Amino acid sequence: MSRVDPVLLEIVSHALVSAAEEMSITVWRTSRSTTVRELLDYSTAVFDGQGRNIAQAARMPVHLNSMELCLNEIVARHLPLDDWREGDVVVTNDPYSGGQHLPDFIAFKPVFLDGARIAIACVLIHHVDVGGGAAGGYNARAVEVFQEGLRLPPVRIVRAGAMQDDLFATILQNVREPETFRGDFLSQIAALEVGARALRELAARHGAGMLAQVGDALLDHAEAAMRSALFALPDGVYSAEDFVDGDGMAEGRKRIAATLTIAGDAVSVDFTGSSPQAAGPINATMATTKSAVYYAVIAASGIETTGNAGCYRPITVSAPEGSLVNAAFPAPVSMRMLTGHRIATAVLKAFALAVPERIPASYYGVTFNHAVNIRHADGRRQVYFDAEIGGWGGHPEADGASGLSAGFHNGQNTPIEMIEAIFPLRFERYALLPDSGGAGRMRGGLGLVREWRFIAEHGLLNASFDAFESRPYGLAGGEPGRGGRLCVIRDGVVTELEAKTIGFPLQAGDIVRMETPGGGGHGPAAERDPAAIAADRADGYVASS
Amino acid sequence: MASRRIRIAVDIGGTFTDLECLDEATGAAWSFKTPTTPEDPSIGLMNAVTGAAGRFGFSLDDVSFLVHGTTIATNAVLTRDLPEGALITTAGFEDVLEIGRHARTNIYRLKPEPRTLLIPRRRRFGVSERIGPAGEVLRPLDPDSVASVVEKVAASGARACAIALINGFANPAHEIALREALAARAPGLAISCSHEVSPEIREFERISTTVLNALLMPVVETYVEALLARITAQGLKAPLYLVQSNGGATTPRAAALAPVKLLLSGPSGGVLAAERVASRLGFPDVVGVDMGGTSYDVAVIRGGVRAVVGQGEIDGLPVRVPMVDMRTIGAGGGSIASLDASGRLHVGPRSAGARPGPVCYGRGGTEPTVTDVNLVLGRLDAASFLGGEFALDVEGARAALDECVARPLGLDRDAAAAGVLAVVTARLAGAIKLSLFERGLDPRAFALMSFGGAGGLHAVEVAEELGMKSVIFPRDPSTFSAHGILQSDIVHDRARTRIVTLEPGASEAVAALARELLAEGAALLEADGLPAGARALELAADLRYRGQAFELMVPITGDELDEAGLAALRERFHALHRQRFSFDDRAEQIELVTLRLSAIGRLGGMATPHAPQRGGDRPARSRAVHLGGGWIDAPVLQQAELPAGTVLDGPAVIEQPYTTLLLPPGWRMRVAASGDLVATREPAAQEQV
Repeated sequence: MSRVDPVLLEIVSHALVSAAEEMSITVWRTSRSTTVRELLDYSTAVFDGQGRNIAQAARMPVHLNSMELCLNEIVARHLPLDDWREGDVVVTNDPYSGGQHLPDFIAFKPVFLDGARIAIACVLIHHVDVGGGAAGGYNARAVEVFQEGLRLPPVRIVRAGAMQDDLFATILQNVREPETFRGDFLSQIAALEVGARALRELAARHGAGMLAQVGDALLDHAEAAMRSALFALPDGVYSAEDFVDGDGMAEGRKRIAATLTIAGDAVSVDFTGSSPQAAGPINATMATTKSAVYYAVIAASGIETTGNAGCYRPITVSAPEGSLVNAAFPAPVSMRMLTGHRIATAVLKAFALAVPERIPASYYGVTFNHAVNIRHADGRRQVYFDAEIGGWGGHPEADGASGLSAGFHNGQNTPIEMIEAIFPLRFERYALLPDSGGAGRMRGGLGLVREWRFIAEHGLLNASFDAFESRPYGLAGGEPGRGGRLCVIRDGVVTELEAKTIGFPLQAGDIVRMETPGGGGHGPAAERDPAAIAADRADGYVASS
Repeated sequence: MASRRIRIAVDIGGTFTDLECLDEATGAAWSFKTPTTPEDPSIGLMNAVTGAAGRFGFSLDDVSFLVHGTTIATNAVLTRDLPEGALITTAGFEDVLEIGRHARTNIYRLKPEPRTLLIPRRRRFGVSERIGPAGEVLRPLDPDSVASVVEKVAASGARACAIALINGFANPAHEIALREALAARAPGLAISCSHEVSPEIREFERISTTVLNALLMPVVETYVEALLARITAQGLKAPLYLVQSNGGATTPRAAALAPVKLLLSGPSGGVLAAERVASRLGFPDVVGVDMGGTSYDVAVIRGGVRAVVGQGEIDGLPVRVPMVDMRTIGAGGGSIASLDASGRLHVGPRSAGARPGPVCYGRGGTEPTVTDVNLVLGRLDAASFLGGEFALDVEGARAALDECVARPLGLDRDAAAAGVLAVVTARLAGAIKLSLFERGLDPRAFALMSFGGAGGLHAVEVAEELGMKSVIFPRDPSTFSAHGILQSDIVHDRARTRIVTLEPGASEAVAALARELLAEGAALLEADGLPAGARALELAADLRYRGQAFELMVPITGDELDEAGLAALRERFHALHRQRFSFDDRAEQIELVTLRLSAIGRLGGMATPHAPQRGGDRPARSRAVHLGGGWIDAPVLQQAELPAGTVLDGPAVIEQPYTTLLLPPGWRMRVAASGDLVATREPAAQEQV
């Protein structure tokens, strides 16, 4: 392990996280879309001069755990680091250049001191729309990535401090909400400069060379902490599987088979036996798959971490090429989040065989991403994007939490009043869903029900849902959580919609209702504490007898 | 015959009740301390008042004004000692309070963290009604539903009820009607409405704040009644005021209706005092830091005025009312230094707290804390800690440091201890830096003011780390909050939320809002009975670029409500946005979201206290201290005995009651006429060392 003054290490490590936090605050305070400023669908991180992720602001694990993979890919195949100049900003949203799906724009800014590259700042933002076949980017009928929207290879959107206006105009011309996109993008660029400034000051203070050594040590320490936590786990080979409902095209659920091998202070996860690549957009690239595995391993290991790429070193991930979890170009990927969640829950289920006392039953299993392409009577257009979540699985020592972000997702909800102030939606209900938590000694947390009336002239509803059929699993004899649901109520008539819905036409007065899954239960329901049962009844968490 | 007029401020802390009083005619000020009486804090309060009257020779009839900072609301929330409550909200949204905002802070944790549920689901009731986002009635308030929900609340056994409807901030009619119906059915029930407590958009934050307010109403009302009864019974006729979270004073009646505004009453006293000390020393821009055993609170004073924010948090619960802006990190004298599994050194956020406390307290602590490290390095004096009443175990501290830090890191004891302190310094400096960053400010333009028991040992080093050139140590840190409270003015905060695009032609809409607020503010101050000369009405506009979620507060004067004034306001917003976030966006429209008014009743200034004119005659003493990178012999002085105008060059140790200040080499300390100490970095002093 590299030797650095332990005091300096601790001081600089805090300063690096602060730089990531400063970027995060800047995005939060200055962005324009509800997706970014309310849902907080963005992340920020710091890399050393060689492109290694050394600090993160704690936000979305799905973003954080894939940023380094993306940078590696850019540097190896597109823009060698030595070609990056002071004042440049490199950006891409290409799933086949290290990204995950098109709405996520990953921007990097190299930071220089006295002509030498000392660090790289990174801000990833989920933008509200990227053009393509469906508003919000969730085109359920896409069979190629080309149908999912504008695909930007790694390019310099800013060169030596000058915004490339032609390129920027081209992007704006191809998205549905150019003004919102522009505002969020300016916020992204500004945050990179805020981070760069903090990193320059830090390097000037402690020396650029010192920063490089500290980077080594931070990664080594994170690796050592991870190895020591993994070493404490029982060696063995543990297999588990979980499922997604399907790709919205072919019949039949898709399988994610995870084989976890714990050997000494390292783990490997192999996905042989998983379903082949799907025709529809539920595929995951390796960036998504690794990101989900890293999340599951860090969570199961129990280490306390602020996170950096050193944590990933003892983790090996392998998956058959052309499979659901390692899709090959040009497979569509916009709904990769729902497969990613089930990759994480499959790996956690395998860990439950090794350390059952630590692992809860499955959480809700999928982030309910949805969007409406709105056309007002006066011709004005809007894109409403939102995400909903459900209940946590019962834990060996506690009931699952109701309606709380889980897994490698971590967003806020959008306040109803904020939505109504901006979009032509009027909410009828936002509530816990009784009986949705899986029964068990420890009950699964409840899913949510969300119901709104559409009041504009015309809208097209898109949904990237799952876990309608493949319910969140219970553990140790606990029941699975209730599955999800999407329906439209028009003049009192209920029409059930598919989990993957594209372009369902909405008219004024329609009510859209979505129900998110509850978590699975843990342990046999017969062993539940009678006092807990009585309290569940009194509060109506459990209504059925 | 005209009697004296004595103004009194009381700050009730966990251990001591501190009093500061002022003779309005002469400007003379005195402090007094008595033990706090936790069973009924008003006993301690009156003990302090009568004790001070006896000691300083005034009668209770002479007391013209009594103002009081209280932690009664804060403690009730922290210990969850709250009455059973109910919530009435729009049907279909009863669970918003429980759903919250979804996000978690510990992103890899698999076991759910215990959540705070202020009102259980069984006592949350939905009523049939609906207000739209512009205040329009989408569904009228259904009388049958009102009757039914009112019955349910009455039957629920709740002592307090919050009424918080979706979009209730945009049109209060339904909330008002519900309150009337509920009050008629359940007289004596504490009722709180969201359009009054937090009339701003975002339902969860508004509902939660309103619920907290409702639950605190019986708590604060009981307290205030007991207090008034005791005061009256003892013959004190002076008007009583309570200090709110925004640093302004309010009447007991207003406080009992809006108790959620008292949650930062205690800490705001310290910030008020920092404001006052900064002003009398002529420092407009100051960062005030309060370092105690477990936490470090940072507040910013800019242009002589404390920073106030519209929303804060207590124990994980959002509290959306104006309050002094304070960043708190878990770093204090009790913070533990330890190594993690990979061998990395950490200091805090784990704390030894008061029990077991630092190793040197000898109460069973085994891990070295910041206090232990200060002791090992001679920065704290084992013999004179807390005036020598409390013996410290230096050997124990050394052994713990050796075992837990020095040996595993392969460092000698002094290097390990100095390393721990360097980490502490960096963490404290980091908290200050982030507080200023959020306002786009540079620490080098600020002076540091340190108060709180553990701050004096670290303040100069923190300032050095941040490139700050001056450090202020107030003269009476042990009664600092009471000193601040004595300076408080009456402050009524009022706001109108209405989105207005600030394009040419918008001035009439803005002026109309402003006129409403100004009239309301003037009436409030009139009701307070303050002379015209003591009243001030300050307007500010919350502005943002169209589409943003957050606003920046930009001051505006009553003379600027025309087109030219709005143009100037837009310019100030662009400039502020650039300063805070490194860019502006002149292509985008600016929206006014909320117009705010602070109606201020100035309660009159006070004279500056004076330092002694001649020094004490105690013999000079010195001791070995590890300071500025090595052991040096430093003189030890008593702050109370330093006359005005004294100049000291570091190294020096200055002792105050309950706290110790360190002046490293390279720094020079001057005693101001007021008795406050101001340390500055002195190149000249550097050469003398």
